[in-house]
Amino acid sequence: MDISTGATVKSHCVGTTAIVYASDYLNKLTGEKIERECRRQLDSGCRALVIDFADTQLVNSIGISILLGIIDIAEKSGAQVVFSDVNNQTIQLFDMLGLTRHVALAKNEQEALSTLSGFNPTPTLH
Amino acid sequence: MSSADFNSRVLARVPRHDFVGRGDELDRIVKHANAQNGRGLLLLMTPSAGCSELLRQAYDQLFNQQSDIIPLYYAFTRHETTAVSAAIEFLQTVLQQYLAFRRKEPALCRAPITLQDVLELAPSSDLEWIEPLVKMYERIRFSNDNKALVRFCLGAPQRIPVRSGKAFVMFDGAQLADDLNGSVVLGAELLRVFGRSGQSFVIAGLRRQILDSARAAESNFELLDLLRLDQLRSEEAHSLVDHVALRSKVVLSREVRDLLVQQFDGSPFFITNFLQAARDRNLALNTYLDCERLYVDELLGGHIHHHFTNLLEEMAPHIDKRVRLIRVMWEAAASDEKSASVEGWRRRLEVEPAEFENTLHQLHIQEFVNWTGATVDATTGSQTWKDYLRVAYRLAIKADSRALVVAETIADSLKRAPNTMARHYKQSDRIDLRRVVGTFDCQRVPAVLFDYRDFSKTYKGMDEVELQSQIASEANLVKLPQTVHVASCYAFDSGSRKAYEEERCVVAHGFEDGIYTDAQQTVWLIADLESKLEVDLELAKSWFDRLDSLARQNDFQRYRVWLISNEGFDEPAGDLLRQHEAFCSSKRQLEILIQQIGATLAMQPAPVEAADEFLMVVPMGEENELLAASAVEQIARRLTFPPQAINQIKTAIVEACINASEHSHSPDRKIYQRFRVESDKLVVTISSRGIMPTNIGSNNAHLSKQESSDSAAEERRGWGLKLIRSLMDEVEFQRVDEGTSLRMTKYLRTS
Repeated sequence: MDISTGATVKSHCVGTTAIVYASDYLNKLTGEKIERECRRQLDSGCRALVIDFADTQLVNSIGISILLGIIDIAEKSGAQVVFSDVNNQTIQLFDMLGLTRHVALAKNEQEALSTLSGFNPTPTLH
Repeated sequence: MSSADFNSRVLARVPRHDFVGRGDELDRIVKHANAQNGRGLLLLMTPSAGCSELLRQAYDQLFNQQSDIIPLYYAFTRHETTAVSAAIEFLQTVLQQYLAFRRKEPALCRAPITLQDVLELAPSSDLEWIEPLVKMYERIRFSNDNKALVRFCLGAPQRIPVRSGKAFVMFDGAQLADDLNGSVVLGAELLRVFGRSGQSFVIAGLRRQILDSARAAESNFELLDLLRLDQLRSEEAHSLVDHVALRSKVVLSREVRDLLVQQFDGSPFFITNFLQAARDRNLALNTYLDCERLYVDELLGGHIHHHFTNLLEEMAPHIDKRVRLIRVMWEAAASDEKSASVEGWRRRLEVEPAEFENTLHQLHIQEFVNWTGATVDATTGSQTWKDYLRVAYRLAIKADSRALVVAETIADSLKRAPNTMARHYKQSDRIDLRRVVGTFDCQRVPAVLFDYRDFSKTYKGMDEVELQSQIASEANLVKLPQTVHVASCYAFDSGSRKAYEEERCVVAHGFEDGIYTDAQQTVWLIADLESKLEVDLELAKSWFDRLDSLARQNDFQRYRVWLISNEGFDEPAGDLLRQHEAFCSSKRQLEILIQQIGATLAMQPAPVEAADEFLMVVPMGEENELLAASAVEQIARRLTFPPQAINQIKTAIVEACINASEHSHSPDRKIYQRFRVESDKLVVTISSRGIMPTNIGSNNAHLSKQESSDSAAEERRGWGLKLIRSLMDEVEFQRVDEGTSLRMTKYLRTS
């Protein structure tokens, strides 16, 4: 297992799946850090992303819009995204803004990895 | 008789501590008086910038110093009708103020005394020069040689013996000197007499007239210093409003204070007169409505009305000519055409050439028009002048009823007020492009600062310390040109004035490597675009095309387009700009560039006002919305809100704070929060000063429950409000004079 903390965002890889940990407050600043880490993981060959929200207490609309951007980026790379351990209040916000239409939710990291195990990434076209 | 103490007022109308905003100019005048070499100082005043109190304060300071400098102050007034009478009045003033200074009796300056009194009051040591002077004056006065009499009177300060001190004469309102009747053109004569006197002196007045007089007198500009007196800067004008309001016991709100400063463009003359009018009427100025009602009263019959009416009466004494003048000026000012032919004006005014030229000259001196030979531009002049002119036109030409004019002028002023403040806030909140470009000076900076896509790929989301370190080690550098001239885009394309905001779009002429050849000459066309998200292809293309077209119209041989936007540019926009070799940067890149080249940002947060016990004030940014969220969590817990509801309230507050920070261009960069606990609900009000965002301006009562957006970008812009609406039970934007006040209610029964 490869573990890295990047600048401030914790992440690790399980096979070709990167697990990126969101902090307690998801806003523009922390959202961009997550985006950066996700890009880095995709560039280094990861084919799936799990963003874990176990520590996340509060999110704002800018943070959510960045998550949507990450989903777009992953889609373009042919990678799948799963959000894990999202609390009910945050799920409610994701629902309100339509985010849950574009991403799978998992109870925890293990469930997210299980969800992804049957997923076959499509090759990226350049 | 009492001696003068250091701080006693002699001619000044306000105490020194109440005289605000002209400290540097006051020091300059006092220093000028104390300079060893006798030089003239021309105080060139913008109309309504006010210089009289400045000169009187200088006078008092010099009087109270009781050094060897003898201050003498003379103000031309409209009551004097001839050059001779003004010169005689000057002589009388010189003697009177000399005696007051010598006897250390300030009151003597204002006493109604005659020349005979002067002789009686003069110390015996001074009689030896005053007595012959008075006798000679009596003789010349009846000699029928006006020129000799004027010169004799003006030369009086030179007759003060060196042992008594050095005379320092300050002339105020000198633009009036040339309007006096008689065979002597007094303005030019002043400059001749004092220019040759070897004494230091000040001649103050309207800048265009003073410079005209100096040229007419063939003054040696090497012996003259110039001091330009513009309107007050915002901070100084705020201070002036506060001081005058306090002195006049006029209650006014911060919002009205700021509006006054902007509406009168920092003019001490208008601000002071306006507040005096409020005092006279015993009015409090708490709201924009209070302010604009009084403003319209002033335009129609108060100090402001009399000021402009007097000027017009001097320019066109006959009522029929005056009416024609008002018509021609208003129609020209309201026209889309910037300038009109002088001949066209003359025909419409129906006056003889000499009289016409005189009128035009006076309009030019007052800066109501710009007269440049064959054309007249009447679109200049302050907003107050234009408002006065419009009111005068409607009453005198259109014969509209007074009630209608009053009602519509109040309404128009009220509609304009938020826009005036919005313009100001946007300007204050903006990076000063002129200053940035002016600091280029052939410095080398990382090329990545001019390519948003590259920057974004490498640096977006990077930790600040790491970013700074990597930027410092960038090897691909670009050498900036040396800038020699920067101006707003609309200065190059007045036809498209509305397309360009003055400070957001500039043209910079410069030379690469600082080498002044055609081959090295370059022009940068720079626009700071307003966009909350990354700029898309359509917006980038429209701005690129606009600036590219401006460059071609002006035949710029080598040019570079540089677009800047808060959040940068999306991929298609970046690709387009790259194709055209245009630069594009986000605000973050610009900030880093500024750090690199050593320019300073033009962002000045205003002081904070204390909050009362129900108000929590947090500075915008730095994740301070979390403080508000934390505070409301504690309050909501006391009310036994369930955890889910608490989280909803917190999220709504966070969104409201972000909205306030992102949209308002707030002058004080503060968010004001009021929490009101009632038995069955929590009411939270989030307010900020600044601009009401356009996306809530049209529905500032209740937000639609079914609000939807067409495009993804539009939808994302509305997400904050959408969340607030969904999370709270009631959401209402309350009417305020400026900025926004959002009231959100959560009922306890909801879970």
